Amino acid sequence: MENVNVVFVGHIDHGKSTTIGRLLYDSDSVESERVEEIQKFTDELKRRFEFAYFLDALEEERKGDMTIDTTRVVFKGKDRLYTIIDSPGHKEFLKNMLTGASQADAAILILSVEEGIQEQTRRHIFLVSLLGIKHIVVAINKMDAVGYDQQAFEKIKDEMKKFLGSLGFEAEKIPFVPISAREGDNVFKRSEKMPWFDGTLISALDRTVSVREKLLTKPLRFAVQDVYDVSGEKIVVGRVESNVIRQNDELAFQPSGIHVRVERIKVFEGELKEAKAGDAVGLVLSPPTTIRRGEVCSLAKDPPKAVGEFSGELVLLFGELRKGDTIVVRCSTAKVNCEVQDISKKINSETGESIEELSDVVNPNEAAIVKFRALEPLVVEKFSEIPELGRFVIAKNDKNVGAGVTLEVGK
Amino acid sequence: MKHMDKLSYLDNLENLSIYIIREAKAQFKKPAALWSMGKDSTTLIYLCRKAFYGKIPFPVIHIDTEQKFPQMYEFRDRMVKEWGLNLIVAKNEEAIKAGVGPGSGKFECCTKLKTEALKLALKEYGFDALLLAIRRDEHGIRAKERIFSPRDEDFYWDYGNQPLEMWDQYQKAQEEATHTRVHPILHWRELDVWRYIQKEDIPINPMYFAKDGKRYRSLGCMPCTSPIASNASTVDEVVEELERTKAAERAGRAQDKEAAFMMQKLRALGYM
Repeated sequence: MENVNVVFVGHIDHGKSTTIGRLLYDSDSVESERVEEIQKFTDELKRRFEFAYFLDALEEERKGDMTIDTTRVVFKGKDRLYTIIDSPGHKEFLKNMLTGASQADAAILILSVEEGIQEQTRRHIFLVSLLGIKHIVVAINKMDAVGYDQQAFEKIKDEMKKFLGSLGFEAEKIPFVPISAREGDNVFKRSEKMPWFDGTLISALDRTVSVREKLLTKPLRFAVQDVYDVSGEKIVVGRVESNVIRQNDELAFQPSGIHVRVERIKVFEGELKEAKAGDAVGLVLSPPTTIRRGEVCSLAKDPPKAVGEFSGELVLLFGELRKGDTIVVRCSTAKVNCEVQDISKKINSETGESIEELSDVVNPNEAAIVKFRALEPLVVEKFSEIPELGRFVIAKNDKNVGAGVTLEVGK
Repeated sequence: MKHMDKLSYLDNLENLSIYIIREAKAQFKKPAALWSMGKDSTTLIYLCRKAFYGKIPFPVIHIDTEQKFPQMYEFRDRMVKEWGLNLIVAKNEEAIKAGVGPGSGKFECCTKLKTEALKLALKEYGFDALLLAIRRDEHGIRAKERIFSPRDEDFYWDYGNQPLEMWDQYQKAQEEATHTRVHPILHWRELDVWRYIQKEDIPINPMYFAKDGKRYRSLGCMPCTSPIASNASTVDEVVEELERTKAAERAGRAQDKEAAFMMQKLRALGYM
């Protein structure tokens, strides 16, 4: 069975958590005790029952009626499992939103028909685009508040289409669904109140999200986590990030430049003929060689490049990043000090609006294209070519302070 | 679900768990795993054995409240031998001597006999990471967790200020005298655990299987854990039962329902 991760994004109070709660409730995915627990809590505090409480479990979230941290729930669709990722809309919690959204295969944007595009709508869509999430469904919520009026729906839909188009999304291919999460219209069940629309949020989701690319068409990459000594035998453990690794493959490791052959692929109490993208396995190499964590290998005929320079589009959350600064770039299992060489195309991640063409500093909550010079060789790939090795987190003193995707890879 | 689909789905869960376990080993100087002898932490220990080709290179801690079921101690001792585990039994002897127990109130009892006992063990051995078998689907509060979850000296979980965690780039606790909780099976569901136990034939505490129409679905301390009505007496039957049920897994666990937000408060103080 396929598992599809779906992140819900949108402006605060447009109904993300409520829509998720409704989806879970109507699809019968909620345990009866959880309903009772919420009933008990709402009775104790004399509050109205909210579907959002299925996700907003923290006291501060329930009392403030606001999602603070990202959360996940699993929900069973027709042929697949959906892991639903809720994410906070408020800008203070951008870090939590990114944590959730970085795991997503698809995004559902919730937009209130009464308010239309708001600041956080822009920010979230900008970040969804930056993170490389290609599949989007737009749910226009609170249709009950406008008397289920088709014109109101069409108006917001047109506005949103224009905005998505301006960010480079194929707006014509993105489905729009009019819903009322609170009343349950067109979320899981088709609503009689909107005879002018044929469809539901769940059916749009079932149709839109295509199977996650298995990374089997990309060239082989294997990232080294560690080397174990098991009964005198050296096992290089790590994960196949793309394609397939086979017994007897001739490999090239980078940055070390070592060429070796896969003698055996080892798992506990067994051996494999091959391992595919996503598999965590161990390699016994011939001849036995010293390989270190952070190295990446490929087939010898198509070696990964260890680069000294690369540029990426990143979002900074904490501190500032200045031209000339040295910062740790974490990509796959590698951790390398890199110097900031250039900063360009600075964007306010809160609004998605551009700030400056060239700059000397990236401030918190700003996005920019940053050119790095790696102080030791590092294996990175273009995000568009091998996403698993084309995304990175930047860290200062072991604290993750930002993240980005690689646009260009230099020498 | 088709049989092959089920297998590849479980393989994906296993691969990520093994990846996380190996990250913990690579990134920390002195990790340890918590083992309560329940199905989840037994699965975690099993996954650790797989990750390290049979020999787990760190200790396994059992927090003993002395309120556990006799079958749990028997199961523990049997598996320690079978799997060659380096077991540490952690107890808050002082509190036990002072008579702390279920009579002291559930919050007090859990905090003293579990959280405090763990603090003592951490102090004694200096572990910088603890692998725990919590899952997101167990409780709304646990759904908020990160894979690497930093704790301060007092074990405080700063749930309002969790780290940025993207693309398997986990963040460790940064200061001295702190530790990091590592959650290798956070992404599993209860049913996944049982399907995996079924597929891999993992030894499981017999209390999970029905006797005289009752079985335990979640195991804790004796006074605070009650069985559910069930006739599922084998792994296959448990899987079948879970595919149908709508009742919550921890329905038999007292600390989850004592009062609104009890779980959050316990966890903020360092409860597992």
